Amino acid sequence: MEMSLIARSPAIGRDLFQLRNNYNNTNLMFLSSSATKSQMGFLQTRYPNLHLKVTARSLSHSQPAASTEPSYENTITSPKDGVKLYVGLPMNSVSDCHAINHSRAISAGLRALKLLGVEGVELPIWWGVVEKEAMGKYEWSGYRTLVEMIQKAGLKLHVSLCFHGCKQENIPLPRWVSELGKSEPDIFFADRSGKRYKDCLSFGIDDLPVFDGKTAMNVYQGFAESFKTSFSSFMGSTITGITIGMGPDGELRYPSHQEQNENKVGLGAGEFQCYDKNMMTVLKNHAENHGNPNWGLSGPHDGPNYNQHPISDTFFKENGSWETPYGDFFLSWYSTQLKSHADKILSMAASTFSDTPVIISGKLPLIHSWYKTRSHPAEVAAGFYNTVNKFRYEEIIKLFSKNSCKMIIPGMDLLDERQPSELCSSPEMLLEEIRDGCRRHGVEVCGQNLEIGGTCESFEQIKKNLGGGNGIEVFVYQRMGAEFFSPEKFPLFSSFVRRLNQLEVDSDDHLGGNEKEATVFVPRNNPKLQAAYYRIRSW
Amino acid sequence: MATVPLGTHFYHCCPSESPKFRIISRKYKRSSLHDSRKGSFMVKTGAKSCKFGQSFDCRILSTTVRASSSTSISDAAVLDAAVSDDVIYRETFPLQRIEKVEGKISIRLDSGKDEENWQLTIGCNLPGKWVLHWGVNYENDPDSEWDQPPVDMIPQDSITIKDYAIQTPFTKSSTDSIYEVKIDFNTKSSIAAINFVLKDEETGSWYQYRGRDFKVPLVDFSLDYNNAVATKQGFAIWPGTSGQLSGTLVKSEDSLSENENKKEPIKEKKSLESFHEEHLIVKETSVESSMNVYIKRCPDSSNNLVHVETDIPGDVIVHWGVCKDESMKWEIPSGPYPDNTSVFKNKALRTQLQVISQTESGQGCSGIFPLDQETTGFLFVLKLNNNTWINNKGDDFYIPIPKQTTSQTPENNNDNIDQEDEVVSGYTDEIIDEIRHLVTGISSVANRKTKSKEAQEIILQEIEKLAAEAYSIYRSSVKSLPEIDDFKDVDVELPAKATSATGSGFEILFQGFNWESNKSGRWYIELQEKIDELAALGFTVVWLPPPTESISPEGYMPRDLYNLNSRYGNVEELKALVKKFHQAGIRVLGDAVINHRCAHHQNQNGVWNIFGGLLNWDDRAVVADDPHFQGRGNKSSGDNFHAAPNIDHSQEFVRKDLSEWLCWLRKEIGYDGWRLDYVRGFWGGYVKEYMEASKPYFSVGEYWDSLSYTYGEMDHNQDAHRQRIVDWINATNGSAGAFDVTTKGILHSAIERCEYWRLSDSNGKPPGVLGWWPSRAVTFIENHDTGSTQGHWRFPGGKEMQGYAYILTHPGTPSVFYDHMYSRYKSEISTLIIIRNNNKINCRSTVKITKAERDVYAAVIDDKVAMKIGGGHYEPDSGSRNWKMVAQGNDYRVWEAS
Repeated sequence: MEMSLIARSPAIGRDLFQLRNNYNNTNLMFLSSSATKSQMGFLQTRYPNLHLKVTARSLSHSQPAASTEPSYENTITSPKDGVKLYVGLPMNSVSDCHAINHSRAISAGLRALKLLGVEGVELPIWWGVVEKEAMGKYEWSGYRTLVEMIQKAGLKLHVSLCFHGCKQENIPLPRWVSELGKSEPDIFFADRSGKRYKDCLSFGIDDLPVFDGKTAMNVYQGFAESFKTSFSSFMGSTITGITIGMGPDGELRYPSHQEQNENKVGLGAGEFQCYDKNMMTVLKNHAENHGNPNWGLSGPHDGPNYNQHPISDTFFKENGSWETPYGDFFLSWYSTQLKSHADKILSMAASTFSDTPVIISGKLPLIHSWYKTRSHPAEVAAGFYNTVNKFRYEEIIKLFSKNSCKMIIPGMDLLDERQPSELCSSPEMLLEEIRDGCRRHGVEVCGQNLEIGGTCESFEQIKKNLGGGNGIEVFVYQRMGAEFFSPEKFPLFSSFVRRLNQLEVDSDDHLGGNEKEATVFVPRNNPKLQAAYYRIRSW
Repeated sequence: MATVPLGTHFYHCCPSESPKFRIISRKYKRSSLHDSRKGSFMVKTGAKSCKFGQSFDCRILSTTVRASSSTSISDAAVLDAAVSDDVIYRETFPLQRIEKVEGKISIRLDSGKDEENWQLTIGCNLPGKWVLHWGVNYENDPDSEWDQPPVDMIPQDSITIKDYAIQTPFTKSSTDSIYEVKIDFNTKSSIAAINFVLKDEETGSWYQYRGRDFKVPLVDFSLDYNNAVATKQGFAIWPGTSGQLSGTLVKSEDSLSENENKKEPIKEKKSLESFHEEHLIVKETSVESSMNVYIKRCPDSSNNLVHVETDIPGDVIVHWGVCKDESMKWEIPSGPYPDNTSVFKNKALRTQLQVISQTESGQGCSGIFPLDQETTGFLFVLKLNNNTWINNKGDDFYIPIPKQTTSQTPENNNDNIDQEDEVVSGYTDEIIDEIRHLVTGISSVANRKTKSKEAQEIILQEIEKLAAEAYSIYRSSVKSLPEIDDFKDVDVELPAKATSATGSGFEILFQGFNWESNKSGRWYIELQEKIDELAALGFTVVWLPPPTESISPEGYMPRDLYNLNSRYGNVEELKALVKKFHQAGIRVLGDAVINHRCAHHQNQNGVWNIFGGLLNWDDRAVVADDPHFQGRGNKSSGDNFHAAPNIDHSQEFVRKDLSEWLCWLRKEIGYDGWRLDYVRGFWGGYVKEYMEASKPYFSVGEYWDSLSYTYGEMDHNQDAHRQRIVDWINATNGSAGAFDVTTKGILHSAIERCEYWRLSDSNGKPPGVLGWWPSRAVTFIENHDTGSTQGHWRFPGGKEMQGYAYILTHPGTPSVFYDHMYSRYKSEISTLIIIRNNNKINCRSTVKITKAERDVYAAVIDDKVAMKIGGGHYEPDSGSRNWKMVAQGNDYRVWEAS
């Protein structure tokens, strides 16, 4: 069945896409036209529902100098080039013996993305792979090969320097770090019961010379410097962005949620993680300076357990300790430690890469459980003192602004209505809050999704978050892999890509009377085109 | 260590091997090699270090690295002397082969010190770290086949596995090389049976009996144990087997009044008899070896010498040929041949390798094969002395022979390739650009319609192919789909002959059609495309639509039973489909419609009741009590289906013909079992006869009648409903399972009306058939009649996942309907299947209902999986174990114990 629809205005066009979304198996040809000109978007749906939209944007790439500068009605916030879409490569793209995992799949994937019109890919580079053997001994060969592949595929690259380990993918910290951790367990975070979090280093040793006279910050810097030197030829051309790892899972936070994997937050709000020796020393000094030495002897006695309902009968209950002077003292200190870690690592990254054209970014978590309570226990345990009367994201955002870093915020795919009601969670409101702060301080936001398997709904939500003057230029979709390419998910993604571009077509519609029409040369006897055609056929 | 079957990896590692080979491989590109563009990605980097085939273990990796660096950089010291000669190609293949050792498991039961104390001795004469994993079944608890034995029965050194099993290591007996476990027990301990399996700790394999546990019955009442050992010697043939179930499991006084076989259950305890029997056991261990192949230039002539070395012990025969062009066609080269070479059927040569002793492992063999200049490729497979063949995962080993003329320096070659590659990517970039131009700024509508569509088509196709390619690679590598391999691989005997009706107990059924499937006329072909996916999703049995010629297009009004051309496709397509399913490891059920049959001819009164075709029955084959069809047979043994003449199964000629027909279908089409349509229409005893004749691996009957309602509200107690289904199963003597209609009905009410308390019966057990006879219950929430485009009794809309969360975590054999599998529920259903398989939930798993309240139902299955459905709150009790949530969706959650 083929069906033609004519829409009067772009707005109706969007509705039609929604309609199409509901009936994925229908072949649908979509024509959008307005009175003054006709603009065509073609899509043909066929099993397995691949869509292709050839975009106006690509045209503007190849012909950047449009003779008449169009006056966008909403140029204030909407970037000219629209949203640049990146797709995360698999976490384990490079194995710990520096081989590329599934190189054939990656190269096929890269080409597919390129053809879809995706801007680039995101690649996690693991500390535990590159500097595995010994401090200062870096092995970049696996990643270099991969970067070359990406360059050849004509894609841009956003790298993430990961100073953390990943349990799910079985990527640990460097061996020498883990070894040291056996004799010096206090390089790791600890909770109240003394349990260690061994997938990243504690903020407490940021400035302590625990690694043969080097501080943790020195070690991170050494890694970043080595990366810069080894990949200097790609900087600015292929590599367009670097995300610096800031904590557990690369995110700026305390590892307050242990055990639980990121997608399935349990009922609890997490535990405070300030019980390693170094952090406790800092707390003690701080309390003494504050004139309340007793407050520095330990963390809050009534802090919740990982799985405990935080509002009932803990530190975070109504009129609980969090609202007392002691609570304010502790939480201020706790969040300040996070802030100072953020400052150190962002300024380290900014100065290291200051001589490159690459933009640095850091990632914030989107800790949305318990957001709708007054005490915001989950955020607070993670180090964001963002209770009902405070807005402490602002201080963090200022740091990003000071260091001219972009902020990556995950969870653009989350919908309030999909969250379990018992968690009092609101990803949408939290996102809005952080994004507002960024707007005020001129910090550019990059979006990311949180849940791996996208659904129609989550793509719709992403699109909503990217449109409407939110000023998001880069979106990183996580993540390539079996599920991403599966016949159920990939068509959703490709349709999402096409629809992202459709946003731009819509904004082109505001060009006024400037009819953007051109004669098309159809190369009938173009040997190269034919050769390429043949190649594809014989694939 | 990684056991790496040669296969896709071969393509990864080959090109990274030697620069020269890469050139050749481009020239003689095999069709199965993917596009050379990808090859060239590898080329650029291959010489620097190893980056491909990472899934080889490090040992292998390091050899390949050395090999490659020594050819590209002239660092000859790394390798052996062979390199310093003119080695023009070198490749190491890891080989995996299975060594089989046969042995015996002996089971001996004899009286010990006195009448009361007996001893069970289990022995095994194969070396290994054997462990006996066992439990007992108490007389008063027939539901639980695995329980802890009394403490005094547990031998020393045993380990207790949770609350249901004991693991006792075998000890080597002093006299001979037999490993033994002795279990002493008291006959008064009310133990009905001892169940056990063997585990080899070295390999982690489990050894079972006919696909199920070994079972040593100690008293003479039992369910239909077809896995009972000692069936001939002692006490396996009991009186009362057929009627026992209604007496022991299901209290029913009058349900079996028509059952001729009915007898009061006899539960008397016969005296134990000692026995001794032995079972064959085959232990398979996989052994990794490797093979080195390298090619040297013969210094004297222009010939090439292919060297093949392997460390496989024993006789190794290379079965080989050569090819002279890209066709990969085997040819026999002209001589001279190596020693010990014979010609095999004029198609290939067979050369026995010479035993050498200089390989690393101390043994092995090698051979040298001279090839002339014309040869472009060397093809071979290996044959071992135990008639095992080793090939390259389905493909022959193929060694390309580098051409003399291409022997330039490696650096040059690299350059060439790089250039080539640039051009290639240039091409594709251009096409992308050009196509974009085509579409973006179009002025002529007509032009656009034709040309750009074509261009899009090209890109579409390419994206589609690329995504599919990437998907297949990633998917194959994440195949963490937990296999029941533990069980499948180690069957001591072939399980195929068992007529248990429930298959392995771990089956997951897929209904492979809906009410519309006949519309295309090529369903058999369309379904073929989905087979791999279905196998990957974890389905083990598929139910295909009725295959016979039929008055109605859907197949449920059959006429000529031997004509298998239907609206779903013709007989050849059906056979091909069944074969494909079998190749993917999925068994196939045929939909046998034998309650009724449409006639070919009218009788003298103009009533259609005379049949044609091969089974040209007359009106004696039609039941007498349906006036529409004026049958001359006996009264129906069940309900009547009024749209067509109902077959009178009491006629012997009818039964004989139907049995033959089923056997013919088994043999001719390859069906493994049956879905039996409308079995309400005839007595289950006849089904038993058909099942005994056709010996299905799995069979399930559709016994669908209405649940009980009072004033329009469904009764809580549906025992009468499930009793009717159980009675029918019982009449078949358990030779067929039945769809658990009761469970579906109760799920309807529970979900629709938020009355989840219905999901627990008065005894705290599941209220459907699965609560009474789980191994015969085939649970489902929808089929082509209840749902699809008919919708006779549709599951509450939007709540389907709650239904699947229930049936896929509960005992019974779950069935998934086509329409749900190919809907937005696919990934959720697939997650649940993975959870089921991961935790080895099977048709006999135990259910503990932990909550059955207004708005929530929760249960723990086998102590390993917890689930809840309904909007109410539930968290599994974290007392004894940690629960991890592994699936959640619209009003359901599933946890696994960690």
